[in-house]
Amino acid sequence: MALIETASLSKYYGSVKALDGLDLQVEPGIIGLVGANGAGKSTLLKILLGLLTPTSGRASVLGMDSVTDTRAIRQVVGYMPEHDCLPPDVGATEFVTHMARISGLPRTAARERTAEVLRHVGLYEERYRQIGGYSTGMKQRVKLAQALVHDPKLLLLDEPTNGLDPTGRDEMLDLIKRTGTDFGITVVVASHLLGEIEQVCTYLLAIDAGRLLQAAPISTFTQRTPVLAVEVEEGADRLAAALTARGARAQQNGARVLIALDNEVLYDSVRDVVADLALPLVRIQQERGRLEDLFRDAAPTGAIQ
Amino acid sequence: MTAADPVTTATPAGSIYDLGYRHYEGKRNGRVYAMWSLFVESFRGVWGFGRPMTAKAAPFILLALYAFAAFIQLAFSSIIFQSISQPGANTEGLFTYANYFSRLGILVLFFCVAQAPEVVCRDQRYQVLPLYFTRAMGRIEYALARLAALVLALFLVLLLPVVALFVGDVLMKPDTFQAIGSEWPQALPSLPGDALVALGMASLSLAISSFSPRRAYSAIGIVAYVLLMEAIPAAIDSVGVTAGWTWSDKLFAFSPITSLEGALSWFFGRSLDPESFTGTLTSGDFVVAAIAGAAVATAVLCFRYRRMSA
Repeated sequence: MALIETASLSKYYGSVKALDGLDLQVEPGIIGLVGANGAGKSTLLKILLGLLTPTSGRASVLGMDSVTDTRAIRQVVGYMPEHDCLPPDVGATEFVTHMARISGLPRTAARERTAEVLRHVGLYEERYRQIGGYSTGMKQRVKLAQALVHDPKLLLLDEPTNGLDPTGRDEMLDLIKRTGTDFGITVVVASHLLGEIEQVCTYLLAIDAGRLLQAAPISTFTQRTPVLAVEVEEGADRLAAALTARGARAQQNGARVLIALDNEVLYDSVRDVVADLALPLVRIQQERGRLEDLFRDAAPTGAIQ
Repeated sequence: MTAADPVTTATPAGSIYDLGYRHYEGKRNGRVYAMWSLFVESFRGVWGFGRPMTAKAAPFILLALYAFAAFIQLAFSSIIFQSISQPGANTEGLFTYANYFSRLGILVLFFCVAQAPEVVCRDQRYQVLPLYFTRAMGRIEYALARLAALVLALFLVLLLPVVALFVGDVLMKPDTFQAIGSEWPQALPSLPGDALVALGMASLSLAISSFSPRRAYSAIGIVAYVLLMEAIPAAIDSVGVTAGWTWSDKLFAFSPITSLEGALSWFFGRSLDPESFTGTLTSGDFVVAAIAGAAVATAVLCFRYRRMSA
């Protein structure tokens, strides 16, 4: 049984199509949900949580329908919203404990789980201070903690690295990765930053304008491609010409020359040509596919970073 | 993490105490428990518990102000007893269970103005609502739990001067036990009466507060609604008396404070004060009006949360 399943799921806001006939099947893992702003990521998450009712089609989480079994779904799902959602004048411990109790955990269990989860997300002494005085990174951790405190089977994170500095971003991504792998919780990370998805996720869902663009394991996007890139400090044009003369399919791209890897002998030709022309060689490497290419082909809007 | 702790500083955050993530296998309670938890949190919040000291100032100051007169009367109870036991003494100026709210009720309104926004506006302002609504908590359950907390808080506010008056009256009498026995029946109508007043004022002020995430606008909204709904029926009725309309005095049923005062006098078995109220409505009518008003306000509150996007 798929963890998340949608069938021709659509959501219209008036004439705006936020989701347009989306068909999905998501298996457990760390799932990246990418798309530009307004592609329908948050709408999809909200439908899964039962916060929005789909215009047509249906969605199910763990085999439960998102419209009729909302309550049962919410017992096993944790949600971290994109926006700020923390009152400033209470402490993190008090707030997360309260949220645990709203999720149905008895008083003692709520306290224990809160202490444990706050430690997991890396909040220590400061957890008794008022949230209003926290840094953005600490607030994001509290937001993650409140989503984790009732031990969900599925965690929905909407732009979890929003507003974080590079260090904070890496720490948050690491935390997400540990949640997915060590804790055995399926995580759906909605993000418009492909780099992040590439770092932590095992599976990619790309949506654009409410439609599914791609759904596949992340490795299929980032595996090696049969293209060799040779970077030189100067004379890329001469290198490309010389290689073409030797019968290779070479193409200049700035300071780099991209060569189709038709056979192994090619490496020798590259070495010889570079040596003959006495070019200042920087690196030779096999090109890896990049997620950006996915969107470059499909949506040349440039909205994806 | 403290600098004095060499273990935590040496390793990245989160990895040192790691006993591994443990799944929660214990009991999960249902929606009644969730409502109870929210009720407790809201009730603590009304009084500022679990919040900074500044949050405690407004509720406790207003409570003290409302009960102040009753405690003064308690402090001077022996002198008062001597003077009113003189034949022909005038007792009209004294506070009784029946007249306390109609004289000082404006302070209870201030309590609503200060604390009702505290109960519901924060969650809208800081966008906490999605966290509630993505848990197993229904929107109407949320609204009712919040309402119940404010009703209880107001009920306690209304009851404190009653207790003070009771103690004062009992201490005046020479035989304490006999005095308690004879005083009870007089104080008892305060319980259902104050409960109705608390329900009416809490539901009205929460219904209005829920429409704005800003405390200031909510507070203005409550004051404006109460003032207008007291003044407009009075204005229409004054025209109606001259024009001979038979329906205009019925409009007082829409005045929240007038209705609650009228309802309170029904519980004490008193007729309405002819000096302050000149309509044909009886105190029994006001009980119906107060209950209906509370029901409408509660419905508006629930409707508001049903429709609110999260």
